[in-house]
Amino acid sequence: MNALTSLPTAILETSAARILLAKPKARFSLRARGDLAPFEAALGLSLGGPLGTRASTGSRETIRLAPDEWMLHSTPSDAAAIEGACAALYDAHPHSLVSVSAREVTVVIEGPRAAELLTIGCPRDIAKIEPGSGRRTVFDGVTVILWRDAEDSFRMDVWNSFAPHLIDLLKIGARELAAEVA
Amino acid sequence: MSQYRVSGKGRVDLSKKINFTFEGKSYTGGQGDTVASALLSHGVHLMGRSFKYHRPRGAVAAGSEEPNALIGTRRGPGRFEPNTRATVQDIYEGLQTNAQNKYPSLKFDVGAVNDAAYMLFSAGFYYKTFMWPRSFWDKVYEPFIRAAAGLGVSPTEEDPDHYASRNLHIDVLVVGAGPTGIAAAKAASAEGLSVVIVDENREIGGTLLSEPQAVIDGIPAWAWIEQELAALKAQGVKVMTRTTAIGYYNDNLVGLVQKLTDHLPSLPADTPRERMWRVRAGQVVLAQGALEKPLVFHGNDRPGVMLAGSAQTFLNRYGVLVGKRPVVLTAHDSAWYAAFDLADAGAKVQAIVDVRDGVSEALIAGARDRNIPVRLSYTATATKGRLRVKSLRVNRMQGGTVGAAEEISCDAVLMSGGWTPSLHLFSHTKGKLAWDDDRTTFLPEMTPEDCVIAGASRGLWGIEAALNDGAEKGRAVAAALGKAGNAVSYTVAEDRTGSGVSMKELPTDLSPGKAKAFVDYQNDVTAKDLRLAVREGMRSIEHVKRYTTNGMATDQGKMSNINGLNIASDALGRKQPQVGLTTFRPPYTPTSFGAFAGYHRGSHFEVTRKTQIDAWAEENGAVFEPVSQWRRAWYFPKGGESMDDAVRRECATTRKSLGIFDASTLGKIEVVGPDAVEFMNRMYTNPWTKLGVGKCRYGLLCGDDGFIRDDGVIGRLGQDKFHVTTTTGGAARVLNMMEDYLQTEWPDLNVWLTSTTEEWSTIALNGPNAAKLLQPFTDVTLTEENFPHMSCVECEVAGMPARLFRVSFTGEIGFEVNVPAPMGRQLWETLWEAGQQYGITAYGTETMHVLRAEKGYIIVGQDTDGTVTPYDAGMGWAVGKAKPDFVGKRGLARPDLVAEGRKQLVGLVTEDGSKLEEGAQIVFDASQPIPMKMVGHVTSSYDVGTTDQPIALALVEGGHSRMGETVFIPMPDRTISAKITGTIFVDPDNAKLKIPASAENKGVAA
Amino acid sequence: MLLIHCPYCNETLPELEYAYAGEAHIARPANPSEVSDEEWAEFLFMRSNVKGIHYERWRHLHGCGRFFNAVRDTVSDKFLTTYEAGAPRPDLDTLVNTPAEGGK
Repeated sequence: MNALTSLPTAILETSAARILLAKPKARFSLRARGDLAPFEAALGLSLGGPLGTRASTGSRETIRLAPDEWMLHSTPSDAAAIEGACAALYDAHPHSLVSVSAREVTVVIEGPRAAELLTIGCPRDIAKIEPGSGRRTVFDGVTVILWRDAEDSFRMDVWNSFAPHLIDLLKIGARELAAEVA
Repeated sequence: MSQYRVSGKGRVDLSKKINFTFEGKSYTGGQGDTVASALLSHGVHLMGRSFKYHRPRGAVAAGSEEPNALIGTRRGPGRFEPNTRATVQDIYEGLQTNAQNKYPSLKFDVGAVNDAAYMLFSAGFYYKTFMWPRSFWDKVYEPFIRAAAGLGVSPTEEDPDHYASRNLHIDVLVVGAGPTGIAAAKAASAEGLSVVIVDENREIGGTLLSEPQAVIDGIPAWAWIEQELAALKAQGVKVMTRTTAIGYYNDNLVGLVQKLTDHLPSLPADTPRERMWRVRAGQVVLAQGALEKPLVFHGNDRPGVMLAGSAQTFLNRYGVLVGKRPVVLTAHDSAWYAAFDLADAGAKVQAIVDVRDGVSEALIAGARDRNIPVRLSYTATATKGRLRVKSLRVNRMQGGTVGAAEEISCDAVLMSGGWTPSLHLFSHTKGKLAWDDDRTTFLPEMTPEDCVIAGASRGLWGIEAALNDGAEKGRAVAAALGKAGNAVSYTVAEDRTGSGVSMKELPTDLSPGKAKAFVDYQNDVTAKDLRLAVREGMRSIEHVKRYTTNGMATDQGKMSNINGLNIASDALGRKQPQVGLTTFRPPYTPTSFGAFAGYHRGSHFEVTRKTQIDAWAEENGAVFEPVSQWRRAWYFPKGGESMDDAVRRECATTRKSLGIFDASTLGKIEVVGPDAVEFMNRMYTNPWTKLGVGKCRYGLLCGDDGFIRDDGVIGRLGQDKFHVTTTTGGAARVLNMMEDYLQTEWPDLNVWLTSTTEEWSTIALNGPNAAKLLQPFTDVTLTEENFPHMSCVECEVAGMPARLFRVSFTGEIGFEVNVPAPMGRQLWETLWEAGQQYGITAYGTETMHVLRAEKGYIIVGQDTDGTVTPYDAGMGWAVGKAKPDFVGKRGLARPDLVAEGRKQLVGLVTEDGSKLEEGAQIVFDASQPIPMKMVGHVTSSYDVGTTDQPIALALVEGGHSRMGETVFIPMPDRTISAKITGTIFVDPDNAKLKIPASAENKGVAA
Repeated sequence: MLLIHCPYCNETLPELEYAYAGEAHIARPANPSEVSDEEWAEFLFMRSNVKGIHYERWRHLHGCGRFFNAVRDTVSDKFLTTYEAGAPRPDLDTLVNTPAEGGK
């Protein structure tokens, strides 16, 4: 995958938070209903649990976004294997696996005040997203998927064209929070 | 030390000397002074002119409720703010301030002639004075109202500051950090509950800051504040000062505005001026205290006349005597203590004048000890003095009649009409109020929110009562959240409890018709105005308010509402609750636009979406236009070309050779699943079953009402896989509509929708040389036989994974190449390079619009307006009539939609060769009298394309059966005649869509 | 700004995550071609515009994306409950007499 040349340099570090752009990855939107076991077996990932539940195996990780919807991430080299595994299931277990690898980027937000930084754009209570889980939610009016990796570490998936706006806002916020600490 | 500063009093640090200016004159104050306290310390009471009569005015209060002392503050370019209350603006080194509503100067104001002409400006004067004659409106009345309207002056430069916002979720929010709020926060902050306490002042303490004599559990008030502040912070309570709760919204959402820099001499980097907090609290404690009411009498607005409690605040908190010879005029015990404090600080109190005929022996003794003359059962009937009060005229009341007058010489009048609980935020919750006859005020009754109200804001009086009520309510909210809370109780010594009576305007022996007894200072509304409104038929307080503008100024009637209600209900002869209370609305205090806008200003006003190719367009001089949230290249001017010239060139080059266009913003939806074709059959008007894999079709989407909603080319990439495109603006709306039908009407269908708009960069190539350009970059044989018009395939283009569509929105040979979004620019540049041999042109949305119009291709939303059916648009061919159902099928059979005379899309060619205006109305008979019967309008019109004459598309009644007829387009200067034609102006046989055999050979060879 | 309980996410979240989607329980006729013009007009255009208890639809647009139903009092703006699309109308008497799980 090519570099995202049209995005601004998305790296900023302040005493409050660090913002960076994650490396490109393979991304799939998986839609399926009924018996999930065949998909779990094919992908080696658990797909159950309440919305927001995550699972990972090796480089693959997934988050449940809706009763019949998951976002699947992996390394670019694993993309073909994922497509192959699901294609083999299609006739017996109809589903939709759509590559969205090029649709969006992932912004990493981490640091002592990362959670607070998110409150400048997220109306929901960030504290209710447990580390190790995630949510699709809204940041400054834009739909994003928020992965909480730790108390102070988040990833935010956002469609390409919204990314510069959100990254700029995060930068303003990170500077603002740092000025507050000082 | 300045003349009116009292040594040893107040919390202002005079060792930190601060210089500022007011009206161009320099003054000094200390750290902790407001503009008002610093000016008063120099004996300056005159701080502004009133809005309507331009009467001289001074500070009447000491806090955010101040109606009079409005100033403009300035700190360099762009940083000017009008209508700042001098009583809340901290001074800092270099602050520049000015009075408002003055011309030519504060001390001599020609607008004050309005004061003499006051008869003109009585209640409802706008309605009466400006009614007649009609011809005066534009030239006389409106300019006058415009000149007179508004407070202060708007800033003229862009605000250079930045503003912020944050969301906060907590267990308990306490509004107000006086004794009640502090006690509530302390009681609630137990067992891990997150508690935030906010106060609009620079420091917490509330009334305790003005009552240092109080001793709480053996600790003097000010030491107690320090102790409690430390204790709250130790318990993890977030204490926010300079933070105003401006509004209380649904489900316990409270808006807070935190002011961060307005008090600082230099602005720290990266710090916003204000931050809007959207706080969602489990429970809210409202502890906003009470506001003192003025007394209503003739001349009660003269500089030097102020609230007694505020004078006490200026003394005890700021160390400033507002006068050395004050007279106290009151209906409440509290003002007696103000008199005592001022006397103890060295003022010679001229008298305490009380409207009541008896007060407690303790108060009488207090006055006697200080040699203050006392007059009970007196009324006040006038003040004298031009720019500052010189004397108060008082009269003895005997058996309901006003006795002889006497004048008391003075330099300040300290008045108290009693206290009104601050119920603003409580009222925002749709809280119910109950009238309390004894206290002549409204008290809180019940609220639908998870909210309690405590202390003086529910009518309690005295520090001990406030503290204990706060503690009890704090425990109550903790209990509501399932926690025990902290049990605390307080004992207060030197507490000044008391009571009073509530008055309408004070009785007078002077002509009430000439009295200027102000109720609303900021809007210059007098008691006489209110009574006039009632005489003229206003019965509801809501009508009285609007007729007189009482309570409608920026202070939202904080001082005037209850006095106004008492007077109106007296005039109506009805009890106050029958007259009603006007609605309190957010914001509690005036709030800057910046605070509401937050980060959304300048380039962040809203999201600007850009494609991956946008940067190339910018580097190559494109002019952009916004299309929904996207910015799109509009045209690419070369070397000083005008827009028309550029578009003409882009159109001609594309028709003659080759054009390249960024179509990435088109919405794209991947429809996948065994029921994909069934879903497509149900959603779109067209039939899809027989569309083969590798083929595409123009799809038309209607609503169930039968009107066109969207359109786009749809490719079948597999038996169960469709690549749907939508209009740029329709992408989100179409997906939402599809999800709606799928989830709620047809949940049984096994099909899923995924937005892929941003997965792909889409590059459109159009023109006779399009296939020749593309052939070397792909293995797909681009011949008419192998890849005819309306084909699609997943392949590689220039080594990139691609979805290739043979489609045309220009009438030329056309391709749309989709590659993974980030590769878009690379492909664009590759094709651009290779296209140089064909003289390729990049074209923008304008050329796209022109070329499609020449072929009669519609733009949904331009040639349709939500009332156009496929048949109206001449696209009945896209309707799958044999299908049992699709969205819109039943709608299309509605009687109105099959009736004769519907507006139908046609072409128009003007007879004089002029270009029509889009939106222009069309008539059949130009000689009919006005108003003419309009029969349609022009939807698209261009004169820069490749046709011999300007072309237009229009919706015209019965247009399809009027081919060749002449219609008329009346314009302001002339009437244009135009002939109705078909909608296709170029290549009606679609010959140009075909790839000629010779071109194939050439292409392969290249 | 309201708090709305999403029956799919089982979370109560700010209104900003949702989009209003009109009155609930207005089913598209199974065979539109068989209904009269009047019935079709009724389906297309007629809405109850209730002052009081209102059955309505919301979509958790910025969340799970599901359409769901809600019962809201349009006077107090309080939700009595929310429930999954396709579920029957809840019984009003039971709702009014039990505390809301929908609103908060």
